[in-house]
Amino acid sequence: MLQVRDGAGEMLGVLFERYHAPLYNFYAKLTGDRALSEDLVQEVFLRILRHRQTFRDGTPFRAWIYQIARNARIDHFRKSRPQVPFEPEMAPAVAPGDPAQQQQESELLHRAMMELPEEKRELLVLCRFQELPYEDVARLVGCGVATVKVRIHRAMQELRQIFHQLQAAPASSAQRAAAQNFPPRRMT
Amino acid sequence: MKCEEIAELLPDYLQQGLQGERKNIVERHLESCVECREVAGLWKQLALIPDEQPSPAGRARFDAMLQAYQAGQGSGVVTRRTTDKGTSIWSVFQWLRSPVGAVAWSIALVALGTYLGLQLGGAKSNSQDLAAMHTELTSMRQMVALSMLQQQSASQRLEGVTWTRREEHLDPQVLSALMHTLRYDQSVDVRLAALDALSRHAGQPQVKKTVLDALQEQQSPLMQVALIDQLVEWRDAEAAPGLEKLRKLPNLNPTVRQRADWAISKLN
Repeated sequence: MLQVRDGAGEMLGVLFERYHAPLYNFYAKLTGDRALSEDLVQEVFLRILRHRQTFRDGTPFRAWIYQIARNARIDHFRKSRPQVPFEPEMAPAVAPGDPAQQQQESELLHRAMMELPEEKRELLVLCRFQELPYEDVARLVGCGVATVKVRIHRAMQELRQIFHQLQAAPASSAQRAAAQNFPPRRMT
Repeated sequence: MKCEEIAELLPDYLQQGLQGERKNIVERHLESCVECREVAGLWKQLALIPDEQPSPAGRARFDAMLQAYQAGQGSGVVTRRTTDKGTSIWSVFQWLRSPVGAVAWSIALVALGTYLGLQLGGAKSNSQDLAAMHTELTSMRQMVALSMLQQQSASQRLEGVTWTRREEHLDPQVLSALMHTLRYDQSVDVRLAALDALSRHAGQPQVKKTVLDALQEQQSPLMQVALIDQLVEWRDAEAAPGLEKLRKLPNLNPTVRQRADWAISKLN
């Protein structure tokens, strides 16, 4: 990153190779929208280019890039508020060979994740999927480490409840959407 | 041990951050508590949700963006495939269900009511009535913006800043709130958004003064660079002494100092 900051633009390509998949997954798991996730990843790297001069030596790069990623997402939703509702078609493909029950549970869990409030979902994505340490997450969201742990605990409790509700009434969200007069959407 | 006490240890346990006796305490609790065991089980199960693979076209888009940026065309390079999706009628309907949508919807209803009232009441002049309605709507929108700028949540304050962008002429009270946000908001993102919104009101003398004052007060290099860039964009020659003062600060970030030097050379 220091080379990028000091003008070696081609080094940004190395950063792109290293971080574009994790960033894409960060967005995909948060928004459930593949096309938007691709766009936001591009936006992150454009912002790195624009703001590279503000990167300070000694700053943890991963935390810095996720800060940019969060800001890009906030800005996006500030401009266009509607969020893509989660639909079964948007569930990620489960690796082939998984037993059927495991696949079903995985889909159900993914759906439960998408029904969590956004800030709780973000915390889980950062801590569980992006595997950021609680200290980094605390810095990112602007609170103490203890607060992050409490929020993680609450998020997991809520996830458990939603998961149980979905298990008890596994009506597809397409059906629920139809009941609310919303057409189901597909991921592009 | 009770669940509430385990709650303090469980997040560390989940991230493999516990050792020794503390780890044993959690494991003993998990053996006897179904709820906490389920939480731990779900945490493990989350790993079974597979990662998404970004499309190979992403690299090509990135290369194009990088080339364009290096050629001095950084802005407007990233094409937004999602923009046309936003025009779907269903997206609009979804938006109306959001808090901001609800406010907009309420305003629309008030406007409709006012309009119908004026029509049915046999108003004297249509143009006068419409002007009055427009003023009322503007005033309501600004009131919403003002209220949102004072919210606890940074994202709501960001939305408040966005609302201010809908108006060409801001009420002095809203302008003042926006300038206060620029200087004192806790979130750097909100401050940056406020600067962006204020950039359209350079004609107001107090706006330029506030930006200059903010330059001396802000500690975030990101903010300092954005303020410097704004002053250069305005070609505000009066900013030069302020920039000189800034660059002499002993603990100033070297990048910001470099930017200030560049700005001084541009303005002189």
